Amino acid sequence: MKFRITIFLLAGFVLYALLIGAGDKTTTSSLPDYLEFKIPQGWPKPPTDIFAKNRLTEQGFQLGKKLFYDGRLSKDGNFPCASCHQQFAAFASYDHDFSHGFNNTFTTRNAPPLFNLAWMTKLHWDGGVNHIEVQPLSPITAKNEMAETLDSVLYKLKKDTAYPKLFKAAFGTPEINSQRMLKALAQFTGSIVSSNSKYDKIQRGEAIFTPGEQNGYNFFKAKCAGCHKEPLFTDNSFRNNGLAVNPYLNDYGRMKITGNKNDSLKFRVPSLRNVMVTFPYMHDGRIYSLGSVIDHYRSGIITTQPTLDSLLAKRIAITDREKNDLIYFLNTLTDTTITRNPRFAQ
Amino acid sequence: MKNRLLSLPILLVVAYSFSISPKIFTAREKTGALKITFINTVKGNPLLLNTVTYSNPFTEEYTVSRFKYYISNIALAFSDGVFKEIDSYHLIDESNTSSLSFSFLTNVNTYHSLLFMLGVDSIKNVSGAQTGPLDPLNDMFWTWNSGYVMAKMEGNSPQSKVVNKKVEFHIGGFSGPNNVLKKLMLNFPAGMVLDIKEGRTSEIVIEADLDKWWQGPNDLKITDNPVCTTPGELAKKMADNYSKMFTIKKVINN
Repeated sequence: MKFRITIFLLAGFVLYALLIGAGDKTTTSSLPDYLEFKIPQGWPKPPTDIFAKNRLTEQGFQLGKKLFYDGRLSKDGNFPCASCHQQFAAFASYDHDFSHGFNNTFTTRNAPPLFNLAWMTKLHWDGGVNHIEVQPLSPITAKNEMAETLDSVLYKLKKDTAYPKLFKAAFGTPEINSQRMLKALAQFTGSIVSSNSKYDKIQRGEAIFTPGEQNGYNFFKAKCAGCHKEPLFTDNSFRNNGLAVNPYLNDYGRMKITGNKNDSLKFRVPSLRNVMVTFPYMHDGRIYSLGSVIDHYRSGIITTQPTLDSLLAKRIAITDREKNDLIYFLNTLTDTTITRNPRFAQ
Repeated sequence: MKNRLLSLPILLVVAYSFSISPKIFTAREKTGALKITFINTVKGNPLLLNTVTYSNPFTEEYTVSRFKYYISNIALAFSDGVFKEIDSYHLIDESNTSSLSFSFLTNVNTYHSLLFMLGVDSIKNVSGAQTGPLDPLNDMFWTWNSGYVMAKMEGNSPQSKVVNKKVEFHIGGFSGPNNVLKKLMLNFPAGMVLDIKEGRTSEIVIEADLDKWWQGPNDLKITDNPVCTTPGELAKKMADNYSKMFTIKKVINN
């Protein structure tokens, strides 16, 4: 008897599923197109899945892209996210130590590039932001960045004729709220993955290093990879690399977030991917060339700072030859599939 | 036609359930509702924003312009268990009358105490963009050091040494040594229990006495600390004080 009921039940479910399926065909236009977030071959899985509660869709990504390039997210319309995060600079501010904000202001730190954010559990130079979705709140509301209020941004988006349709396409209804806006932005920025540089092609057996690049890579693995860990070229930790405190800024980095004096002068270890296009370097953009960065590590580190990273206690011995080779190698980390990809362009 | 076809598998599911596990169809939990009302006061007198000058235990005078705090993870204890409100996050904002009371469905039972967290639990502080009471639009979310402001008091005082004689307390911090979250258990007035009856709404009235921010266990003078807007030692002291501000004044069983 039970067996027969089970058969009926299964038959019922099949019938039901078919009906539901048939019904679906008439309504597919309202369903978003789900996308898969692909983890590059051989890479570690992100520590948390940033899309677990923000399912990646083509419509969500496109909405996020429109928001990213929309000046209306700023007070006077002049400062979209993209004003400081320029695609050709791997979404950093090209050739600017500090970025320009509302009403002739400067930011107080160098704008970081935006890629491989899915692997970052903490954002900003000091790690103060703990989730990709809430990051935009910081630049949108900062007086020296976009200088806007969340209320006002949402008001402008709701008044627009296009946005309600785009929010509906992405989230099912035309409602515009801060959560949806932030989730859409996270779909766009979180989708920017840099994994197709010459270095990556070499890892996949699709290209080979020149002798200089190979020497540079060998040196990198021996002396730099302790912090700039492959394949992300950062271990996403916070360290003091021995820079003097800028007396105008008195920026002590991560200590401001944790309140712990052991974190004094510690800043995020930045990824070296796309490093050729993300100059100037360091948290305050004080160094303009890779050669000068390397000079800092071989002769500029202030070794008396109590929180100096132990790997840098004796600075790093680097010959001129090694310096040149290292720069050849760092050149192989530029990924034009993000800097020139129309998918990420306005 | 379509309707009839749709009902077929549903009937089958019912039949199947009866044949295998009848427990699914035991009587459903009977529910009533609980209304919780917060009355913000200063030493028992209803708090009035901006217009009234108050005096703290150190005879420092002050006015209050904003007073907001999060209540989350509400639970009701009965003899052998607790009932928990689902998705339990409430922002109490003195300037918004409708925020001062709220209701939710509650299992029929007799309860002897109320439990809640003062603040937003750590999970919601690290889970990205939220909505409703946790929407950053409520101006209770730090953008530079992600996390919720658990309680906020703003005003002015002649004893304040900062610009415009401001008093500004934004108390937050959810992890490690900076954690200001408080799990509180409030007893009902002597001899009272909370009865939730089917289809009826009972009510709990809670007084929050703002005067408790200044004292017990920590003496915190406006002269010394007119501002606290970062997680850390001072914020923890403030939270130790204000966690004592709640008293259940009434239980109204209907």
